[in-house]
Amino acid sequence: MINEYFHKSLWVFHFNSGSCNGCDIEILAALMPRHDLERFGIRLVGTPRHADVLLVTGPVTRKMADKLKRIYEQVPDPKVVIVIGSCGITGGVFYESYNLFGPVDNIIPVDVYVPGCPPRPEAIIHGVVKAWVKLEKLRRGEEVAA
Amino acid sequence: MTLIKTGQGFWDPVVWLVSVALSALIVYWIWSKGRKDYKEGTEQDKPFLCGHPEPEKGKVHVRASNIYWGFTEALKGYYDPLIKSHTGVLSDYVGWLIGILALVSFIILVV
Repeated sequence: MINEYFHKSLWVFHFNSGSCNGCDIEILAALMPRHDLERFGIRLVGTPRHADVLLVTGPVTRKMADKLKRIYEQVPDPKVVIVIGSCGITGGVFYESYNLFGPVDNIIPVDVYVPGCPPRPEAIIHGVVKAWVKLEKLRRGEEVAA
Repeated sequence: MTLIKTGQGFWDPVVWLVSVALSALIVYWIWSKGRKDYKEGTEQDKPFLCGHPEPEKGKVHVRASNIYWGFTEALKGYYDPLIKSHTGVLSDYVGWLIGILALVSFIILVV
């Protein structure tokens, strides 16, 4: 009964696939005292094996594509993928670059897109909440829209 | 009956066995609380190496020579000729034995 209402906190693995670091700084801003996502138990972890969510920034360079795929496969199921920033969604300013393998959904399935260059911490938190809702549904085995 | 007093403490195999069994039970309980939803035989079952593929075990194995490489490096002048003389041919070793025996005999008997 208690387990039903107290699921594990959301643990996030952050993967930088070639970002300019703008989005990464905004992710840190979401964790800092002003927004303080950690008060909900949401925290970054050092290995995908402990994660529920894969947070991807950057447009995915050629060198990073296989790493992204492998890390996605290493996250235990059920899992959710969030893409932070325009680069990971469309390629952004690197659109059609010879060195890109992305955007992210060319390589792995994406559940939540957070657009912006970079997106504000409020937008990132909104994306995380959306991902959390989807993850809870996946944990209960409910049908979720693709 | 099985208790041995050493002066510093005691040793009792029954106490030891009970302690080991208790520790094993605690370890098993902690292990059983771990996640069970990993899919065996997939990437979820492999070590995380920052996204890199797992190299062959032989390539990441730390060789025993890593422990004493400084020793062999410092005594290179002594080891290098020794390694060269180790041909692996039995007759060479027998030759060395006879030669050294002859030298020692000469030193003892003549000098």
